[in-house]
Parts: sequence; C-alpha cells; structure tokens
Amino acid sequence: MNIYNATAQKNMLLNALDGCQELDIDLSQVGEMDTAGFQILLLTKREALKAGKAVRLTGHSKAVTELIDLYNMASYFGDPMIIPAEERAAAKPGNGKSAG
Amino acid sequence: MDAIQQAFVVESRELLQMMEDNLLQMESSGGDAETINAIFRAAHTIKGGAGVIECKFIVEFTHVLENVLDEMRSGTIAPSPELIEVLLACSDQLDALVGCVESETEPGEEVGKASASLRERLQQFLGKPAAASRDVVVSEPAVHVSGGGEMDTDNWHLSLRFGRDVLRKGMDPASFLRYLMELGEIVNLVTLPDAMPDANEMDPESCYLGFEISYKSDAGKSRIESVFDFVRDDCVIHIWPPHSKLADFISSIETLPEDSMRLGEILIKCGALTQAELEQALNTQSDRVGSASTQPKIGDVLVKQGAVTPEVVEAAAVKQSKVAEKKTLESQLIRVQAAKLDQLIDLVGEMVIASAGANMLAHRSGEAALVESTSVISMLVEQIRDSALQLRMVQIGETFTRFQRVVRDTSHELGKDIELVISGSEAELDKSVVEKLGDPLMHLVRNALDHGIESPEERVAKGKPARGTLRLNAYHESGSIAIEIIDDGAGIDREKILAKGRERGLVAANQTLSDSEIYNLLFEPGFSTAEKITNISGRGVGLDVVKRGIIALRGSVEVESREGAGSTFRIRLPLTLAIIDGFLVGVGKAAYVIPLGTVVECIELTEKDRADTANRQYINLRGGVLPFVRLREQFEVAEPGGKRENIVVVQYGGQKIGLVVDELMGEFQTVIKPLGSIFKHIKGIGGSTILGSGEVALILDVQSLVTLATAQQNRAQTAEAIRV
Amino acid sequence: MKKILLVDDSSTILLSMSAILSKAGYEADKASSADEGLIKLKGGLKPDLLITDLNMPGMNGIEFIKEVRKLPDHRFMPILFLTTESQQSKRDEAKAAGASGWLVKPVNAEQLIGTIKLVVK
Repeated sequence: MNIYNATAQKNMLLNALDGCQELDIDLSQVGEMDTAGFQILLLTKREALKAGKAVRLTGHSKAVTELIDLYNMASYFGDPMIIPAEERAAAKPGNGKSAG
Repeated sequence: MDAIQQAFVVESRELLQMMEDNLLQMESSGGDAETINAIFRAAHTIKGGAGVIECKFIVEFTHVLENVLDEMRSGTIAPSPELIEVLLACSDQLDALVGCVESETEPGEEVGKASASLRERLQQFLGKPAAASRDVVVSEPAVHVSGGGEMDTDNWHLSLRFGRDVLRKGMDPASFLRYLMELGEIVNLVTLPDAMPDANEMDPESCYLGFEISYKSDAGKSRIESVFDFVRDDCVIHIWPPHSKLADFISSIETLPEDSMRLGEILIKCGALTQAELEQALNTQSDRVGSASTQPKIGDVLVKQGAVTPEVVEAAAVKQSKVAEKKTLESQLIRVQAAKLDQLIDLVGEMVIASAGANMLAHRSGEAALVESTSVISMLVEQIRDSALQLRMVQIGETFTRFQRVVRDTSHELGKDIELVISGSEAELDKSVVEKLGDPLMHLVRNALDHGIESPEERVAKGKPARGTLRLNAYHESGSIAIEIIDDGAGIDREKILAKGRERGLVAANQTLSDSEIYNLLFEPGFSTAEKITNISGRGVGLDVVKRGIIALRGSVEVESREGAGSTFRIRLPLTLAIIDGFLVGVGKAAYVIPLGTVVECIELTEKDRADTANRQYINLRGGVLPFVRLREQFEVAEPGGKRENIVVVQYGGQKIGLVVDELMGEFQTVIKPLGSIFKHIKGIGGSTILGSGEVALILDVQSLVTLATAQQNRAQTAEAIRV
Repeated sequence: MKKILLVDDSSTILLSMSAILSKAGYEADKASSADEGLIKLKGGLKPDLLITDLNMPGMNGIEFIKEVRKLPDHRFMPILFLTTESQQSKRDEAKAAGASGWLVKPVNAEQLIGTIKLVVK
C-alpha cells in the first residue's frame, strides 16, 4: 500500500465498508506501506467508527506493523498485532474481505 | 592522479575550450543570454569539480570569476571588450591551473602571481572589495518573552504538521521520524490525524498527519532543525529545547490548526506539559482560545484546481511530451573511453579477416548452402565494420573552431586584421586522424597569417579590403577528406622560390619546373623564404615537418597560389587509419592490395600494348598519356609473369597512373597492419594485411607510386624534348 | 540494495558521488544529461531516489524534474537537486517543479548519505 495505489485502495476499502457492517482487512500480503497507505487504513477505520461499524485489521505484515508502531497508533486501531513467523515476500496490496 | 582527478582534468579542458569559443563569439557578435550562461556554467562546473577534488587554488580562482559571470548573467555587468580580454586571460590561467592538477604540482610563484593579478582585475569589474561574500545570513526569529515559568521537562518538544504536498514530492514523514531516531530517542509520539477531511474530500495523495513528539537528543537546535530543511516552507514546525519558556510554548501552539483544548490533552499525553502547567497557560491566554483553528479547506483547493478543465491539461501534457521526445532523440550522447572503441575496432578487424577466410574456404568447398551463409555473414561483418568505424568518426568543425583564438591572438600580435571563415565543419573523419591533424594544421594556419596575409596598409595599397580572410574548408573526396587552408594574401612568389631552389641545389640550373613542382619545393627540408624571422612561424621548423606529419597519416599536401590573390594549401587524408576497402591484385605469386578508393578502372594490357611498352613507361589511353609502373619491376618479383597482364588505373591528387599487374583478384576488405621497420625503405608500400588464407599481402602506397610514375614520365619527356 | 540515479553534466561530480554512494552500500546509476536520465527512467529504471544537477546544457534540471513528475512510475519518487549556497530563487523554483530537497555543493560524504537517509523510503 503506497502512494502510487492509494487512490485505488481508498475506493476499494470504502466500497467494501459500504456493503457490510463488519470488515476484516487481511494485511498479510502487504509488502510495502508508506504514509499514504497508512492514511487509507486510518480513514477506513475512522469512517467505520463514524458509521458504527467495525473494522478489524488482521495478519499485519512486517511493513504494516513497523509503520503503525512508528506512528504509535496500535491502540487507535485496537487490533491484536501478531508478527507472522514467516514473512511472505510477495509485495501485493492487501485484500479487503467482507465478513458480514 | 586518481580516476576522479583525471576525469576533472579532461572535463575542465573541454569546458575551457567551450568557454573560449563562447567568449570569442561574444567578442565578435555580442553575447546572448545563452552564450553568457554557457560561459558561467563552464566556470561553475569547473569550480564544482575542483571542490570535489579539493583543489583549493582552482576553487579560489574560479570563485571571483564565477561572481563576475553571475553578474553578467543578471545584466549588472556588461560584456565590454576589456572584460572579455580579462575573461580570456582567465580561461588561459585556468588551463594552466588545470595543468598543475594534471602534473600533480602546486602552482609555481609565477602562476600564483598571475592568478592573483587576474583576480584583482576581475574584482575591479565587480566594484567591490575582495572580501565581498554572498553568503545568505539566516537570522533567528526574535523571541518574545511574555512571562510565565519554565517547562518542567528534560526533553525537546517537536510539533510537526506536515504540508499537504509532502507525499507528492516524494517524501514521507516516516523517513523524517526514522531519521530523528538516528539523532536521538523519540520518548513519546502522538499522531494527529485530525486534519484529514471527510472521506469523499480526502485526497489519498495528500498528507494530513501531524505529530507531537517528546524527544531526547544531545544534538543542537540547528542540527535538529536542519532535519526539516526541505519541508520547512510548506510545513508548520516548532521545536522547543528542554526547559523552554512556558508562555512562548503556549502562544506558539496556538498557531497550530487543532483546537487548543485537544492540543493541551495531547501535550500532556506525550509528556511535554503537566496538567498544572497547561491550566496555568490556558487561563492566561483564554481570550485567544479558538481563534487559531483556521485551516484551509482542501475542498476549496480542489475546486480551485478544477478551474482548469482536465482536457486542457491533458492536451498540454501530450504536446509537451512529444517535444521532449524529439529533443531526446536529437541530443543524446554517450561518453565512451577511446581505448574501448579501439579494442572494438581491433576485434572487428580480426573478424573481417576471419570472415574472409571462412568465405574463401566456403567457395573452395563448393557447397552452395555454405557459400550462401558465409556471404550473409560477410555482408553483416561489413556493416558492423562500417558502424564500428562510424563510431570513431568526428566532425572536423571542433578542430576548426579552435583556430578562432589562434587567428585572433596572432593577428593582434602581428598588427593585422584577419577574419577566420569556416566551412565544411560537418565533414567527418576518424578521431585518431583528427588528433594528429592539429599540429600540421596549426603550422599552416600560422604560416598563412604570418607570411600569407599582408598588413592592412599593404592590402589597401593593393586595392584589397584591409581585412584579410583566412578560410578553413573541408570536404570529402573519393574515400578521403580534403582540408583547405585558403588565404587571400600575397600569394607565393614563384621566381623567389625557384631562385632559392637553385641556390640550395634542389633544382638544376637548366631544369624547367611546373608551377606545382616549384610550390612543392616549399616542403623541402630547411626551405624557408621568410625574410624576417618572427616568433609566429619561420623559426627554422619548415613546412617539411608539416609534410612529414601528413605523410605519416597516409595523406598528402599540395599548394596552389596566384600571385597577389592568395594561396591554398590542401591536405588530403584517408578517412580512417584502421581498415580500408582494398582491391586485390596478383603479381607472380605475391598478392598486393590497392586501396579501392583510388582505383578508377581496370583494363587489359593487350599484346600490342605489351610490345609497344617494352621500352617506355606509358600507354595511350583514349588519346591521353597514362604513365604506369610495373609492379613486377618495382618490387623485383622474380617469377616470370603469365601471358596476360592488366593495368589498374589509379588516381591520387588529380593525377592518374597505371599499375601493371598479372591478375585481378577482386575487392577485399583490408585491415591495415603496420609494416616492420625492415620494409620502411621500400617505396610504394604503405602497410600489410593478412588474407583470409593466412597469407600476407602488401598494401600499396598509391600516393608515392603516383609521384614516382609522374616524375619518371616528366624525366622521360624532358629527355625526349632535349633529344629532339 | 537501494538504487540512486545521478544526473549531472560534470563527469567529476558523477564519478565522485557514485564512489561515495557505492561505498555506503547504494547502487548508483549515472546519466550525463537530463535527456539521458529521462531515457533511463522511461526505459524502466526504477531508482529509489533521483539526484540531479540544475544547471545543465540541453534540458535544464528544473524542466527535467517537471518531466520526471509527469512519468506515472516516478510521480512520487524522491528527487534531490544539487545547488549552491547562493541560489535561493532556484531552490524555490526546483521545489515548485516537484523536487523533494537539495544538496549543497560541494557535497561531502556525510552530508550526502545523511540527506539520502532522510528521503529514501
């Protein structure tokens, strides 16, 4: 998730949120995250809170964990962060999966 | 010298040449902005390079020079003739200083003095004392002390609100934070996403984050501030050292976009303030609470940007990219080391030989498919050879323009008014030839300036324009390049040369010579007709040196002159020294290569011709006399010839002769190998090559054979004339 | 390994900077003109950072930065430009064209590497 695909990510995540009450976002395939990507997660979380919906981030990859820690925002998202034993190298953006 | 110093020397020399060309252009036709900018850029780049290699004496010298050029750029100083004179001298001085880098010596006393005096002269144009420096002084903003106690913390406090465009400009707040972590320790950090607008207005490429950071570091304020140099203009950044004045702190944070109450909570959270401190501060400043939350709405900005329709932007972008592509095609150059090219040409040469060998074997085998495929390979090899040689080709223009300065300085020195006119600059020739051409050309140009063109008074007296013209011209001519040095001076005094030739014993008393033979006497060793020896030319180093230099390049030089109207020196040179297209001929068992560019035609020598020419060295060719050389005799080939003989008609420098050979073997690509010293004394041989079969063939030096045959012919004719 | 594209018409600068970069563990790619740099970028080179001179013959650094910012693959690449102390107006112009930051010539190794760390992601 970076600035090059931030617009696409924003649309995808907000659309996914529109169609459900609870959204699980699997971040295990996120090989890169910059501040633009981080802001999209932040926006999604905030919009969910406003609408009384739930957003859960799961499977944080190393890139995601690092940035959330740097920005000291783990408690804002409130998700348990488990660093996977094996970092997958694939640099694909995370998939928004609707679970509701 | 290490590689970087070496690169600096080479680069500086190129830049100085460019600088000089531009200065001369400015002198003759006034300088436009681009010319002045190019001169500035040259000095600027040299200074930059000198800084890199830590060459103080060049940095110091170019510093003043750069300042003067900068003022010229901005139009404060006009390019007067005096200034250009000084700038030219500076360019020479820089060349000397670069020479010091090259020879790894400190500049001597004399060079140092010259630097100092030039800097002084430059300084006069600046009209300022030498100490004038143009450093920008950044003043610290005044600190308002408005009472209140100190903050009770040992940590720095950083308030950062990044600008919207930070991400778009390729930066990331995360990188800044990580960098801060290298300088010290982030004790606490609160991220403020408050500025992020509603989802539909939020631009994913904009940055909306702010940070309040409690920070522990031994670094000084300026060091920490310098981290944010790049973003200071677009971001709101406040840095408070440990134990800052509380009041200053509070009044500053009021300028932040967030609501003061919320900020207060955050500051407590990250440890910058205690609850008590905050309350005290908010009480004293209560009247101003709330007045500071005036951030621009991103929506407005977007609407503003929307004022330009997307179609217009798109069209402009497409147009611009087309222009850029065209520009790219025109001006792309790659710098390659000459040695690498030489190696490539060597290999291509070997490949040419190997390919010829394969071709020959294929023909011998008689297998059609094999012949077919080897001939395709030969064709490709031929193309590769041409492209490889093309890589080494450079235009002669650059060599010519170097003479602008020579003509300018020399004519000043001689009190003459001479204009240099250049034509044929785009004619190309091999770089190795160009490099060796400089000296002979310099000699001929100086010769023309000194002895050729008269003083303005003399010229006016003769009814000529006071200003003399020296022309340098180049053009291609049957596989070679001709370079002309043409002056409109007095021309060559034929009788004077003849008299001198007789005096020197070069010409027999009763011998009659053609004009061109007389002029050629000029190229004899020690032959100088100059009446006064000047320091421009005529120092005993005669035109014979020029001739020798050119012959070493497999070229020739000739002179034409009309008394009173001027002289033309014409140099002919092969385009390349490495590979030529040859015409293979056989004499007995030996094979010879004639450079194809010189071959005019081939004719069979009939029985009648052979009988006729048993005792004379010419035939009648379509009514004209064609002198010839029998290679068999010339090279003392022992084996008797076959029944048939052929004449290959070759031409050089406007003269045609015939070469009598046994067999015509066709065209052949020839890689020239230098001759061993054993063969040096044999006239008529220019080099050797290896045939595909592995045999050695000698390459004929057509020029010397032509000279030989015409001389013989002239002698024979004179003899006949006397007999009659 | 992080890749850095250097663009400068001065071979002395190119040579010295690339020596510093490779010593610090970066991969340096060089171009001696803006046009050459553009060709490399259009040809698929994806550096983590671009460092360019401003005053170059042919296309100058400012135009170059503007052109680079038009390339979809490099719209958000960090770009540093080389400048001298006395060029505040140029600095503003380059930043407006889309540059991230600058390096003051002559660049020493410590400064260069420090600045690179600040902008390379």
